Formats: sequence, structure tokens, C-alpha cells
Amino acid sequence: MAMAIVKMSEFSLFAFDVEKEALLKTLQNFGYVHFNNLTEDFEDESLELEPVKVPHKLTEIEENLSKVSSAVNILSKYEQKESSIKAMMEGNKTYTFEELEKIASNINYVALADEILSLSKEKDSIIQKIEHLKTEISELEPWKYLGASIETLSNTHFSDIMIGTVPRKLKEKLIETMSTKEDVYYEIINEDKTNLYLLLISHKLDTEDLIDSLKNLSFTKVKLQIKSTPEEEIKIREEKIKKHQSEIEEIENSLKSKVDYLENLKLAFDYLNNLKLRFSVSENFLKTEKVVFIKGYIPTDKKDEFEKSVREALGNVYYLEIKDAEKENPKVPILLKNSNYAETFESLTGMYALPKYNEIDPTPFLAPFYTLFFGMMAADVGYGLIMLLGTFFVLKKFKLSDAQRKSIKFFYYLSFSVIIWGFIYGSLFGGVVKIPGLIDPASDYNTVLLMSIAFGVIHVMFALGLKAYMLIRDGKWLDALFDVGFWYFALIGSIVFLLSVMGVVGGIIKTISLVMMIVGMAGIVLTGGRSSKSIGGKLAGGLYSLYGISGYVGDFVSYSRLMALGLAGGFIAGAINMIAGMVSGLGVIGFIFAIIIFIGGQLFNFGLSLLGAYVHSIRLIYVEFFGKFYEGGGPKFNLLRAKPKYINIK
Amino acid sequence: MAFSEFLINYGGVFFAGLGIACAVILSGIGSAKGVGLVGEAAAGLMVEEPEKFGKSLILQLLPGTQGLYGFVIGLLVLGKLDVGMSLAQGLYLFAACLPVGLVGWKSAISQGRVSASGITLLAKNEEHSTYGIIYAVMVETYALLSFVSSLILVNAVSF
Repeated sequence: MAMAIVKMSEFSLFAFDVEKEALLKTLQNFGYVHFNNLTEDFEDESLELEPVKVPHKLTEIEENLSKVSSAVNILSKYEQKESSIKAMMEGNKTYTFEELEKIASNINYVALADEILSLSKEKDSIIQKIEHLKTEISELEPWKYLGASIETLSNTHFSDIMIGTVPRKLKEKLIETMSTKEDVYYEIINEDKTNLYLLLISHKLDTEDLIDSLKNLSFTKVKLQIKSTPEEEIKIREEKIKKHQSEIEEIENSLKSKVDYLENLKLAFDYLNNLKLRFSVSENFLKTEKVVFIKGYIPTDKKDEFEKSVREALGNVYYLEIKDAEKENPKVPILLKNSNYAETFESLTGMYALPKYNEIDPTPFLAPFYTLFFGMMAADVGYGLIMLLGTFFVLKKFKLSDAQRKSIKFFYYLSFSVIIWGFIYGSLFGGVVKIPGLIDPASDYNTVLLMSIAFGVIHVMFALGLKAYMLIRDGKWLDALFDVGFWYFALIGSIVFLLSVMGVVGGIIKTISLVMMIVGMAGIVLTGGRSSKSIGGKLAGGLYSLYGISGYVGDFVSYSRLMALGLAGGFIAGAINMIAGMVSGLGVIGFIFAIIIFIGGQLFNFGLSLLGAYVHSIRLIYVEFFGKFYEGGGPKFNLLRAKPKYINIK
Repeated sequence: MAFSEFLINYGGVFFAGLGIACAVILSGIGSAKGVGLVGEAAAGLMVEEPEKFGKSLILQLLPGTQGLYGFVIGLLVLGKLDVGMSLAQGLYLFAACLPVGLVGWKSAISQGRVSASGITLLAKNEEHSTYGIIYAVMVETYALLSFVSSLILVNAVSF
């Protein structure tokens, strides 16, 4: 099994423009094609090549896509929901790409979506009508006790009739004002928290005077746009609402009857996304009047299959050239292939940056270190067993997509390391049951600290080794000696010399290590600045390189987190047990509380330990490890497939 | 009893107790503030996209660890408390508590700020929220170092 970056071949293809769609359809079925964007770097106008454009087709697909997507959202609300765990266990249905095409072409998804959308639109407009009626009712509500119909309240020959509101806090003032007016009849029809609702009848001659004095009472005149009594009008509106509500029910029933088509619509959604991709990639191509020019990459081991697909789609009328991708070309897309174990760590590499085509895939090298570090920081037999059993159960019982399977497997592999380190530290749920460990981190923390730093030294040395490997592979022997060899001498020499000064090792080793250190350091000073032009520059650069040794000290210290997080997690788990133990002495209720504290506390610490182990291991990989040898920045190999949302595509 | 006599008799246990208090209080204040900062930012996001709750919780949890480190150091010193301990030992334990207390306090707040920005990343692109987490972890390194030094100090000298 090759563990590395998948070898790529570059192809150039000329075909007739009319056959482009058929070709893309076949190639999408094949999947493993990554197209170059030719419009970016092809500017030779003399060849009369122009970029391919398919705007109309794309707009049409996008329109359909948005229709289908809204229809799916609407129907999903009426779907009988299974319990979420059951739904997760069943997972998404899996189709081959051919099946997807075939099923989708037999569904009239646009008409279906249109129908659902128009039903939903109708429902929305009725809901709006109801809202409108409800506002009207709330406006009429305060006037409910006005027994007369509004029509009859029109002004008479001698008198004016008005209705309106006055703030409630002015009630006393109102009564006082009104008592002075003899030819005015007023009645408080209703009152609520803020307002008084008034009916006022005045002689025409007095009206102006009345309005003037009412102004001081913040009177607001009200005009109701109705004919009969407010109470009757409210009733009419309530009946209308009832009618509308039954209409809504009808619409909902017909929407419910469409739920069976939900699966089809979801399928169509994923189909359309693939169709959209298929048309949009053709905008990477160039064409003359009749011929289309396509360039791209395929994995070298799929060359035969690719040629077969092209022949299938185009018959014999095409020109195809395939050659190995250039090592130094930064545009070669990256596809990683790793062992069952290492491939679960590819997401970590991807999150930092995919390697360039001339680099190495760091995934298989980071995986064992990550596993070690994670276990050391989470380190508990109980926590590890929860992880192991949980992930094992999910892997066995749940139907997962490839990406989900990978991330569950990631934690499955890590759980072994957590268990092993739990045994080494003798920790089972923070010591709730005593198990004999190899090291007691609480008292022997010095050993753990030294071990952590030692792992750090090994990790950093390994990273330097990978750098040397890449340099030697490219024939740069001297660079490997200067940039890695001398550093090995300087670092190992100084570490051993330090140990011998402290009296850990002795005798001849002290002399050897001192010589190694001096040779290494001298080498670094002499060669570290070799890229500089002047002698002074070379020397300054060399000295500056040697100053980089302080960076290494920082790197090694950073590995103390391996000990710190493991210890902190252990202590917190121990503290939870201690609290639970104190409570458990208080009778039956105390015992129940102790169990709750134990389970809740341990689960909390479990989550916290895993989170800490996850992120701090990542940091050690990205900063201390990658920093020494890895650059990254290669583009991702994009399959000619859109990522499905509702189904799995094989 | 003169004050100096009190100091000599009970100063040890007093200062060791003060050390525990400092370790727990300062780092606790920092973590509470940091976690609070992220919580405020995350609550705004929940209005629009409640499905990102899980990831926002991870970001919120990150500045919470300092308080736990302080708590652990507090527990360790608690195990050494003794009414008859000498003034020198008490002052020493007090000093041992300072790294985790002070660094924990300030670093939790800084980490909270980084995490709160991580919430913005999460809002824009769910996959990129991991970068926010890693940025926040960079700050945590110093809290860890202070924890390690407090831990070593507590155990390094035996009186």
C-alpha cells in the first residue's frame, strides 16, 4: 500500500464541442477528474480560442435547484419524524451515480416543486389575511360595549357625536373638566391599563370649546371604519378567521399527502447539484468554433479507466495526450491515500494545508505521535473504555457516510492509547477503583515531565529527519548536512552534555558530547547564512541561525503540556470522587447525590479531557512538528462530484 | 499575644491558606470572565443558527480551564495545610500559588477574547471554527506553563 500523495497524470483532450455534454456526463460517472482552469493562464489570442460559457443552462439549473430546495424545506415540516437516534442509525440511503441519474430522470421534480411552492404560497397569503383580521379585532375590542351601530352615530342636526381615547391617568382631571360642561353628554364606555374609551355628545355650538379643553387631556379622536355595532363586526371577523383556518387545514392536508414525494425531491436536489457542477466545470475549458480544449489531472492508476470513459463518450473522434504530472508544478492537485489507520488523520493534515506535489504526505508520520500525545493527555482507563465502546457501537450499528466513518474511527483508534496510558498512570475514573499503575503521576510528576520532554525531543528530531529525507531525495546532500546534520550534532550534543554535567551520564561521554556540540554549533555558524552574498552577511546569518537554538528550547518546554493536561485531568477526576465520597456519608439521599455528582462530574471531565487532548495534540503537531519540515499549500483534488446532502453516492 | 507572636505561631497556615485562595480566586475570576465573553458572543449566533450550539460550546469551554488549573493547585496545597506549619513554609506555598493565579487570571481573559472572535469564524464558516479553537489554544500554552511551575513549586521543597 502506497502511503503518500497519489501520483497524478496530466491530460490534454481535444473533442467536438457538440459532444461536450455527453463527455462530461460519462466523466462525472467516472468521478476522478480534476480540470484545470484554462481561461486563467491561456491568453494566446492568435489561436482564436475563447472560454466556454454556459450561462443560460446554469441559470436554469440554479432556478430549479432553489425551487426543489424550498419544496424540500416545506415538506420536511410535515414529515413524520422518527426518533433522531433511529434516523442516525439508518443514515442516508446509498445510490450509485448511475442509479441517481436514472431515478432523477424519471421524476418530474420541477412540476412537483412548483405545486408544493404554490400551495405554500397560498397558505402564507391566508395566514396574512388572518393576521390582518386579528389586528382589526384588537382595534374594535375596546369598543365592544358601545351598543349602537357606528352608522347611527353620525351627527344630528343639533349635536355632534364623537368617540375617542384619553389616557387613563387623566381620569380624575377628565371628570373634573366634564362636570363644568353642562351641554355635553359623556360616557366612559371601557377602560384598560392605559386608556379610557369615551363617547361624547355635544351641542354643535359647544363642540369647538369641548375639543379645546379635551386637547389638554391628550384626547385622540377615533374613527372606526365599520357599519354595525363593534360587537357584531367582531363576530363577522371571527367567523372569517374560522373559515380561513379550515382553508389552511385543507392546504396542509394536501401538503401532507405529498410527503411521500419528499425522498424523490431530496434525490433530485442532489442530482441537480451534480448537474450544476457538470455544467459549471465546462467554464474552465477553451474552444474554437467547433472544437473544445480540455486539460486536467487524473490519478495515474486510473489512467486506463479514464481512457475507456473518454472512448465510450466520444467514439474515436478525439485527441488525447496523457503524461506524468511535473513534480515541481504547484498546481498539481493533491489526493491522499493512506492505510486504514492513518487515513483517519488526513483531516488534521487537511486542516493545516495539503502538501505540495513535491513534498511528502505528513499524515502517516503524524498519526502515531498524535495517538501517543492524545492518550497521554486524556489518560484514563474508564474514559478510554467509554470511547472504545461508544465508537465501536456506532461503527457497528450506524449507517455512516465515508466522512462520518473516518471521524468515528479516528476516536476509535485513539481510545486504545487512552486506555494504555490510563493503565500506565493507574487511573480508572480518577482513581475511584484503585488499579496499580507503572507511574503515579501525582507523586512522580518529575518522571512524567522528563518523559514528556523526551517525547518532545524525539518528535522534533523526527521532524528534522523528515526534512533531511526530502532534501536527500531531491539530491541536496549538502543542504541536508548543513540544515539538519549540524542541528542533530548541536542538539544531541548539548542535551547529552547537559546530562553529563548534571551527573546522569559520565566519563568519556561527556567529552564526546562536548565535541559534538561544538562541531554542530560551529557548523551552523559557518553554513547557516550561506544564502547571503557578502562574508559579513554569511557570518551574521550563521550566528542568527545558531540563535534559533533558543527556539528549540521553547519547543521542548512546550511538550510539558503532555504532563500538565494529564495531571490536571487526573486531579479534577480525583476531586470529583472526593466530593462524591464526602456526600455519600449522609444517608440514602446522600448516596443518591453522590452517584449523581460522580456521573455528572466524570462526564464533564471526560468531555473536557478529550477536548484538551484533541486541541493540544493538534498544536504540538502544527507548531512544533510541522514547523520544522512542512510547508503545504497544494490544491485539493476535487472529484467531479458535488457533495451530496441527503444521500450517499458510491 | 503580640502580632509578631501570632505571625510566628499561625502565619504559616494563614499564608498557605491565602495562597489557596489566590490560586482559586484569581484564576476563577479570569475563567469566569473569559467564558462569559464567549458566551455573550455565542448567544447572538444562536438566534440565527441554533444547530451550531455544539461547536460554540467548545469555544466557550476553552477559557474555562484556567479556573480548573487554579482549583487543582488549591487542592494540592490544601493537602499540605497544617496548623503548626512554619511561617517560611506558608510563605513559600503562597508564592507557589502565584503563577497559576496571576497567569490564569489574565490568560483566561485573553483566551476568552480569541475564542469570542472564533465565534465570528464559526458564524461565517462552520468548518473554519477549528482554526478559532487552535488560536485560542495558543494562549492556553502560557496558562499551562504557569500551572506546571506552580505544581513543581508546591512539591519541590519539603520543609
